[in-house]
Amino acid sequence: MKRFLTLWKREVASYFISPVAYILATMFLLVMGMGFWFLANVRLMNGATFYDLLRALYGGVAWFAVLMVIPVLSMRSFAEEKRSGTLEMLLTAPVKDSEVVFSKFLGIFTVYVVMWLPTLAYYPLLQNVAHEPLAYDYGAMAAAYLGVFLVGGFYLSIGLLCSSLTQNLIISSISSFAVIALTFLAGFLPAVSPIPLLREWSEPFSSVLHMLEFSGGVIDTRSVILYVSSTMFILMVTTRILESRRWRA
Amino acid sequence: MIDVQHLTKNYAGGIPAVQDVSFSVAPGEIVGFLGPNGAGKSTTMRILAGYLSPSGGQVMVNGLDVTRKNIEVRQSLGYLPETCPLYTEMRVREYLNYRADLKGLSRRHRSAGVERAMEQCGLLDVQKRLISQLSKGFRQRVGIADALVHNPPLLILDEPTIGLDPNQIMQVRKLISELSSSHTLLISSHILSEIEATCSRVIVMGKGKILESATLAELGERWSAGVEIYIEVKAALADVERVFREFPEVKSLDLQQTEAWTCGSLLFHSGEHREQVFECVRKEEWPLRELHAKRQSLEDTFIKLTTGEGKA
Repeated sequence: MKRFLTLWKREVASYFISPVAYILATMFLLVMGMGFWFLANVRLMNGATFYDLLRALYGGVAWFAVLMVIPVLSMRSFAEEKRSGTLEMLLTAPVKDSEVVFSKFLGIFTVYVVMWLPTLAYYPLLQNVAHEPLAYDYGAMAAAYLGVFLVGGFYLSIGLLCSSLTQNLIISSISSFAVIALTFLAGFLPAVSPIPLLREWSEPFSSVLHMLEFSGGVIDTRSVILYVSSTMFILMVTTRILESRRWRA
Repeated sequence: MIDVQHLTKNYAGGIPAVQDVSFSVAPGEIVGFLGPNGAGKSTTMRILAGYLSPSGGQVMVNGLDVTRKNIEVRQSLGYLPETCPLYTEMRVREYLNYRADLKGLSRRHRSAGVERAMEQCGLLDVQKRLISQLSKGFRQRVGIADALVHNPPLLILDEPTIGLDPNQIMQVRKLISELSSSHTLLISSHILSEIEATCSRVIVMGKGKILESATLAELGERWSAGVEIYIEVKAALADVERVFREFPEVKSLDLQQTEAWTCGSLLFHSGEHREQVFECVRKEEWPLRELHAKRQSLEDTFIKLTTGEGKA
């Protein structure tokens, strides 16, 4: 456990001592802030409810931020270590490959969560914008953040997997963006597919629908299990990829 | 300490990197790993360090099987990879603390281990500096300090002086010779004088196989082309050649005239001939400026071994 914590701390620190985390956080908060400003000033004025705002912010605007941030956040995890050769130092220390993968995941997930924290400041601001006092549903807010973290964690694991396949940062970020974008777009299949069977089959796997559910205050256990298990599965595949260097290298 | 039996390693696509390699290193030995680029030295070292798995054969380090007890093996040795990769955004002490934590040292042992490693490697004055601001020589020392931080009995150093300037090489060589009194060392290097200066035994690899494994003295004997005596006498080249050609045991002459002096080497099949040569020079009444026996260098042996020239 001590080794895992050491790896995790180093991973988190590596983001915060470089400008990457700050630039990403600035861009992320800029997009989210603009979305919030628009929703608070336009939609809330036109009679939208608190739930409408949550759905629009976390089920809509958040996607722009997530698709922009996650590939950049995850691209360097393994690609940079491979490029600089530090992966050899890391994997000749007495640590398990799975510890390295899971600590790296938890590291970028921590940075991702920290990026979201300032968005909690939107709610005190909202009272100033609204004409009449808003009744907050803290449960719905918590569900929206749970959705953001579950779906974000899943996409971060995809980014980590892509990073483990290359030592080129550009290839790592482009490939993870491509896979994440495809997964996101596949989330529209239940709405746009002309094939009824495909609509029916794709619905339980649609990230877009899941995010709308979470941001509407609905926590479906099936969705939670889906994201936790998918994330774990992808991290295990990443561990296998890392282990494969032993016989492939 | 290290026991390698019939080790083979094939890369993806079946490309052989190491083929049926067997050797052992006893506790306290300082063994030099020699070979041209692509000989399989780094691959063998990476297998010993637990970074790669062997395709075949058995590798035991400190009594542990590298394949089955991979983590324990890594814990029991210190390894410096060829390129000495480091997290350059960290400070020296911070990096060594991090590595000590990864190697499972308790807080108390970590502090003592880091202090000792920095002292051994001469890093105390730069402990608060960013690694990115250090010279290549100091970075190499940080890499060696990392290998030493948990005080392992065995150190595997892959090209510890690569890319360093002569002063830095001297510093690292001095450090290695200091370490040799308390650790078993396996060192690969292209700088043969370094191996000659620090190692008691050498293993020469070529094309993934072991070409020779012997002490330096044994190697010199096995691969010596003969006994060479260098002379500089004030006499005509033709006269010197005539006299020494009649000498018993002479194999060949390599002499040149430089103004009034004839300089060059006399190569004998074997034995000690300096006294005879001196007597001959005295008898001919040639003024003598220099006379010494030339020892075959490890470099000569290395070239013969790795270019496939036959044994003498």
